[in-house]
Amino acid sequence: MKRYLIWIMTVLLLCLTSCGKEVGPSDISGVEELAGKKIGVQIGTTGDIYASDYEKDGSGTVVERYNKGNDAISSLKNGKIDCVIIDEEPAKQYIKRNSDLSILEEEFKLEDYAICVSKEQSKLTEAINGALNELIADGTLQTIIDHYITDGEVEGKAYTSPAGLDYANGELVMATNAAFPPYEYYSNNEIVGIDAEMARAVADKLNMRLVIEDMDFDSIITAVQGGKADIGAAGMTVTEDRLKNIDFTVSYTTAKQVIVVRNGNSGAITSIRDSFYQNFVEDDRYMYLVEGLGNTIVISLVAVLIGIVIGFLVAIVRATHDKTGSMKLLNAICHVYLTVIRGTPTMIQLLIIYYVVFASANISKIAVAALAFGINSGAYVAEIIRGGIMSLDQGQFEGARSLGLTHAQTMRYVILPQTFKNTLPSLANEFIVLIKETAISGYIGLQDLTMAGNIIRSNTYQAFFPLIAVAIVYLAMVMLFSAGVRKLEKNLKKNERQVYD
Amino acid sequence: MTKECIIRVENMTKAFGKTIVLQGIHTEICKGDIVAIIGPSGCGKSTFIRTLNLLEQPTEGAIYVDGENIMDKKTDINRIRQKIGMVFQHFNLFPNLTILENIILAPVKTKTMTQADAEKKARELLARVGLEDKADAYPDTLSGGQKQRIAIVRALAMNPEVLLFDEPTSALDPEMVGEVLSLIQELAEDGMTMVIVTHEMGFAKEVANRVMFFDERIIKEEGTPEQIFEAPQSERLKSFLACIK
Repeated sequence: MKRYLIWIMTVLLLCLTSCGKEVGPSDISGVEELAGKKIGVQIGTTGDIYASDYEKDGSGTVVERYNKGNDAISSLKNGKIDCVIIDEEPAKQYIKRNSDLSILEEEFKLEDYAICVSKEQSKLTEAINGALNELIADGTLQTIIDHYITDGEVEGKAYTSPAGLDYANGELVMATNAAFPPYEYYSNNEIVGIDAEMARAVADKLNMRLVIEDMDFDSIITAVQGGKADIGAAGMTVTEDRLKNIDFTVSYTTAKQVIVVRNGNSGAITSIRDSFYQNFVEDDRYMYLVEGLGNTIVISLVAVLIGIVIGFLVAIVRATHDKTGSMKLLNAICHVYLTVIRGTPTMIQLLIIYYVVFASANISKIAVAALAFGINSGAYVAEIIRGGIMSLDQGQFEGARSLGLTHAQTMRYVILPQTFKNTLPSLANEFIVLIKETAISGYIGLQDLTMAGNIIRSNTYQAFFPLIAVAIVYLAMVMLFSAGVRKLEKNLKKNERQVYD
Repeated sequence: MTKECIIRVENMTKAFGKTIVLQGIHTEICKGDIVAIIGPSGCGKSTFIRTLNLLEQPTEGAIYVDGENIMDKKTDINRIRQKIGMVFQHFNLFPNLTILENIILAPVKTKTMTQADAEKKARELLARVGLEDKADAYPDTLSGGQKQRIAIVRALAMNPEVLLFDEPTSALDPEMVGEVLSLIQELAEDGMTMVIVTHEMGFAKEVANRVMFFDERIIKEEGTPEQIFEAPQSERLKSFLACIK
């Protein structure tokens, strides 16, 4: 009964937090009025670059940088910012679904979109330029653009690969940020859009199989530089700064940067029922959550196993050193490991392992994430276990050693089983933290549970259901895990009392 | 007839940091010896017995077990310890293992016996101390006296040449002291070589054939129980015996 009460309270609390307040229209009617306002942009985009100029001019302009365009739009709707500077086509998509938002007539900037390629791959750049020019000449590119930039609903695809391709030249990996309609976005669990289809057409010309990797916009250039992806195509504008790090192909389309503002209309109020339908049922969007959950579970399980193995090994080395003074070198290595892992943010470790350590290795993101979280967790597990070993009665070591058991045998048969039992509550705590920490996997473009919720949000422009659903799934996972640990704990205890009389 | 010497201690000194606990100890433990070690607390008697199987590393000197210097780095101390059983004040049974598992762990893991032989021997020993029904119980379910008898059985399961007892009854409730002492006495009657650090003077007198009085970092006085208890020589021993009477 108590449990149900807690659940009901939780849901009520969550509902309360979702109640918004009415916000008035933005006080902006043109570019010259931007100074002194709160401007929302997507981090690393040209909008960000231009808006940053205002920030430095002393007018009190604040630039809020978001990972995704639709997060900026959500903030605009909530009144947290005054306007959003973003590419025209995504902006049109946003206002189509949000009647309380408008695009200002006056455009902010005109710009060219191009594909970015590593500076070391000049041959690839040339080949893509050749392919693009052919696609422009034969009208294929225009067909794709017209298909997506339309007043009506987009249905199906514009481009179909010609028959008879054997993809003898291998894979062409494209990095993108699939929250940028109509250039790239998720539809039916697939990344589609102008860039996606244009890149497929280019890849077909090169007789290569296109593979699309979704990641944060500001990670795309790093990924292409580091060889994680061959090309980047994400409505990316050619700028001076970007040219220092990366090459661009010829431009495949032009676009405008526009200003999105609140117009004072009240937004369309969606009923809870409709909202639920849009977020989970329409286009089978719940499948994002199912897949994300699967990935989160795999990453967590493997990371826990890696953490336990590393943790025990490091703890044994450290405790052996503490007790006997041997293993000096190994102990020093373990000490460095503990210091570095516990002294740096998990997210940075994840990014380093993905973009630096495995920069050029072709290894699955799930494996990288599991490894990164495992290595991270190992450090915390190690200190928990070492504490457990050191707190055991010295008599346990002496009893075992006096019988002629080696140090290793003493550890394995006498010390570690007791340590495991005694440290189980702390270990469970560490693993609960680990499960939730996997939520940052999205930073390497991995579709985990959190990322799945974000994809749904980028499709529906609604925050409530996707976020609450993700939160509830994590909560359920942790509760299930805790129940399992409680059972294990009970079993370990029961063992010792079973013949009590 | 000279007795066969099992342990020989030569000029052994033990210091903890700057504090010298034992200085220049010379002695021998021979086959069939039952040595009782007495002395005021802090005199180093526990430290002495713990150096015999290298639970404490002596600072200087040499200790020979069956002619091998156990302080030599090349000596396999684990093999030596298999020949020297030890019983502790606080029993040191392994709470994660059943009584039977506690007893057979060392014989099986050191490959001294097969699993089957070790179990057979363990059950025989348990029957001998009257605890065969506890084979599958866990240590936490036993009384102190039962735990100490199991600890003795665990040491005996390795067929040691000598048994070291470090104050085996000091942590027991008074009514349980008897059952442990009578087991040690039985072992003595069977001819087991033993070194016993104890505060039970009556027991020392009755069971031991040699008594060592440790004081002021050395073996202050040594002799038969009659010599030590009936005719003490040094003032220190006289006042020690007077104190505990």
